Amino acid sequence: MFEIHDLHKHFGSLHVLKGITCGIAKGQVVVIIGPSGSGKSTFLRCLNLLEKPTGGTIYVDGVNITDPKTDIRRVRENVGMVFQRFNLFPHMTALDNVAFAPLRVLHLSKDEARERALDLLVKVGLGDKADSYPDQLSGGQQQRVAIARALAMRPKAMLFDEPTSALDPEMIGEVLEVMKALAEEGMTMVVVTHEMGFAREVGDLVLFMDDGIIVEQAPPEIMFNCPSHERTKAFLSKIL
Amino acid sequence: MTFRWDILFRSLPYLWEGAQMTIRLTTTAVGIGFVIGTLLGMARICQYKPLRTLAAVYIDFIRGTPLLVQIFLVYMGLPQLLSFPMPRLTAAILALSLNSGAYVAEIVRAGIQSIDLGQTEAALSLGCSNAQVMRYIILPQAFKRIIPPLGNEFIAMLKDSSLVSVIALEELVRRANIVITRTYRPFEIWLGVAFMYLIMTIAISRLVAYMERKLKVDV
Repeated sequence: MFEIHDLHKHFGSLHVLKGITCGIAKGQVVVIIGPSGSGKSTFLRCLNLLEKPTGGTIYVDGVNITDPKTDIRRVRENVGMVFQRFNLFPHMTALDNVAFAPLRVLHLSKDEARERALDLLVKVGLGDKADSYPDQLSGGQQQRVAIARALAMRPKAMLFDEPTSALDPEMIGEVLEVMKALAEEGMTMVVVTHEMGFAREVGDLVLFMDDGIIVEQAPPEIMFNCPSHERTKAFLSKIL
Repeated sequence: MTFRWDILFRSLPYLWEGAQMTIRLTTTAVGIGFVIGTLLGMARICQYKPLRTLAAVYIDFIRGTPLLVQIFLVYMGLPQLLSFPMPRLTAAILALSLNSGAYVAEIVRAGIQSIDLGQTEAALSLGCSNAQVMRYIILPQAFKRIIPPLGNEFIAMLKDSSLVSVIALEELVRRANIVITRTYRPFEIWLGVAFMYLIMTIAISRLVAYMERKLKVDV
């Protein structure tokens, strides 16, 4: 699904990604962990070109998205994204948030778009909140709407950028449940998170990033039980 | 020295017609200015540098020169340049609209820039084009936020529209001058005119406050 080769990203003189190479297969759930400032979010945001890489190549479903000739909108339609701070559209109801992209990007009819949106709201357990505005919803509910909004494009892969970091502890569970269900359906997922329980339970592969490189990648049981690098050990000992 | 209420009252219908012209001028100018300002405001922050520079130069020119000079430029300068006659009303509306557009542009720009970048990113990540992001996500939110400063611009324009009296357009101030040359009662008339402006500006601020409440403007 994703083929990343020697990916670099500079912000001015700051070298944030220093050559990332990895592959993410269809249906795989990849969890990216690492200290803050290690480049995990930047890496994730490169995968749908919200950040423009300064070097290297990224193939998404066989399409080279780092080629300037590629229509990035087509690629983004197939790669959903969920943000740390939800970024719901505050001037639209939950239903309209979810129906927005099917209506405006896929040009479905109003009825089709709303029907699809309502199905997804039911799926994330918010069928009764369709007419609520984002500021009337709790953080956990907002994030579930945001997941439904991304799913409304029927993407082939989903990117999650610290989806539970802005939530009160009691709301983290409901969001992780939705993500877990999604993983079980076979969705390709790339998740930047500090939720090690989720990584352990749902992840197929864990990437440990530090200082702009992937230090170590392994299935969760190996990563968490017997990491091979000193930096990984030091990081895990601090958070586990 | 007595205050001649009777002269003021007798002049009121005539002055009221002038006030109506003032209202028409102001609403038209701010209306056109809003369209110009929205386009200019977007041009100010677009990716295309020449357009950005052009918009900035225009805004600096308008904001850095007196409205009175702009009115003379349009009313007397343009006809000389293009050699066609310029009716007073057209000149007044044109000058006020061009002026309002520059001020509205800065309001619109600030409104657009006040919207969280996350909104743009969310919409882009769904496959929206830049134009769609602007139209469906940014502008609807920005317009709600700019209602209060836009109300201020409306009030400023209402007061500044008195300047077009210098090209003999019969709005409120011009009519007041005409009345005074007939009656020699400047104090009564100017005080009456001041109150007519006051009533209009209070009405506008009430209207803006009502719209704010209605749209639940969030800051």
